[in-house]
Amino acid sequence: MPSAPKPPPEPGRPVNDTMTRRVLVLFLIILAVFVAAAVASVRNINRSVAGSDWVNHTHSVILEAEGLRSDLLVGDGASHTFVMTGDVRDRRASADALADVEEHLEILAALSRTEPVQKEEVSRIAALVSKRIEFIRSVLSARQSGGADAVRAMLAEDAGQPALKEIQKAVEKLKGDELALLTERDTASFLQAQTTRWTVWAGVTLDLVLLAGAGWLIRDDIGARRRAAAVLSKANEELEEKVRERTAEVAAANERLTTENLERRWTNQGLEHQLRYNHLIINSINDLVLVITKATNISRVNPAVVQLTGYEPHELIHMPFSSIARLSSFGREPMLSPITQAMNDGRDLREQHAVVVDKRGREIPVRMALFPLRDRDKVVGGVVIFQVAPPADNPKP
Amino acid sequence: MNANPADSPPPSVKKHILIVDDEAAIREVLGSILTQKGFRVTAVPSAHEAETVAGRDVPDLVITDLQLEDSDGLEMVGRLKALLPETPMMLLTGVLFDPKVVREVLNKKVSCYVDKLAPLSRILAEVERLTG
Repeated sequence: MPSAPKPPPEPGRPVNDTMTRRVLVLFLIILAVFVAAAVASVRNINRSVAGSDWVNHTHSVILEAEGLRSDLLVGDGASHTFVMTGDVRDRRASADALADVEEHLEILAALSRTEPVQKEEVSRIAALVSKRIEFIRSVLSARQSGGADAVRAMLAEDAGQPALKEIQKAVEKLKGDELALLTERDTASFLQAQTTRWTVWAGVTLDLVLLAGAGWLIRDDIGARRRAAAVLSKANEELEEKVRERTAEVAAANERLTTENLERRWTNQGLEHQLRYNHLIINSINDLVLVITKATNISRVNPAVVQLTGYEPHELIHMPFSSIARLSSFGREPMLSPITQAMNDGRDLREQHAVVVDKRGREIPVRMALFPLRDRDKVVGGVVIFQVAPPADNPKP
Repeated sequence: MNANPADSPPPSVKKHILIVDDEAAIREVLGSILTQKGFRVTAVPSAHEAETVAGRDVPDLVITDLQLEDSDGLEMVGRLKALLPETPMMLLTGVLFDPKVVREVLNKKVSCYVDKLAPLSRILAEVERLTG
């Protein structure tokens, strides 16, 4: 069953801190393995170097022991020749060989100084060799002083050379012990080399495995980061799209508001223009135009009313209509009834003869018309128009 | 009086509208809405200036008031028609005419009559129709 794809991390959050920590820990382990392998290798190399020094030392011991035996045999042989020939050159050869033997002994003592077992063996050899050298020198001295009988007795005593054989045996033992140790060290050296090889290979293999693991984690992390980047990019695109849409909406709303504002200004301007225009028309009319309320009080007049009656506009406003006008047919009675009646009925009054009483009480004959003023089918007042009648139109008193 | 530059066409391809009205407020409101809708607007207060502008920068539409400071809008339309026979003329006035008058008189003199109480949307619709 295929595993479900990993969900991408949330946008804006660090991709994977745990991943970073894991990779760091892996690299620390790789470093530790590397250091451990290096330390182990260096230690093994140091041990190999030390083993190599010891091998050289052992070979030196063997060579010195071999040289000691050889020079001792040469010195001993030369002393025997001197005994037989009396030639001083043989005596010198024997003395030189013995000096070499002593030198070998000193070197052997120095080489075995730090090895207790070897030191003991060398001490034993040294004691035997010293004794033998002393014997040879005594033989040489006796021969030189001319005591052939004494020399003969000394040599007879040394028949079969048991001391020399014992020295050779001791040297052989020393050599055998050294060779055995050499073999042991050789084996140890091989094992160390093997250990070093295994340590290096194991370290390298482990490091490679860990590196592969770290690589896998990094690859996984990069994949997660790519997915997160893709999600973030998509989120950004969506956000930008939303911002574009919102900007377009705001721009459209702004344009709509601007249009509405202009529409309102245009309407107000038109109404104001129309109102001004209508006022101009009404004010320009030569006839007297009055607006009265339902209670027949004056609420508005045009300049012709002011001019004819002599009243100022503020004096006329709210003045009872009957104070300045009455119908001729009603004589001097106030003209309330027919006007009130007409407004109540909602009908016009036309071509009525009337008189207007000015501020000074003069009566001016006029023709009157009344038009009820409606607001939503309800009479709320009336418009009264007076035309100053020519004299012929005046009704006869 | 400029529309959003990102949405409007370059000046060379914008339709040119000449507004003639003696009221500055009318010129300003009408100019603003027409500019917002992507037109190039020249607004003047008198017939004399209108004729000067029309001679220099031919308009695609003339919108004129009836009562001008120095002339009658219909007279000016007559003179402009001689100069620009193909250009439509719109009469935009506060004088409310009877529909019969509009039908029998005004429509013979101008391409369109709209009273100033009409909403801007209707005026814009007429402008769009005439500049088509």
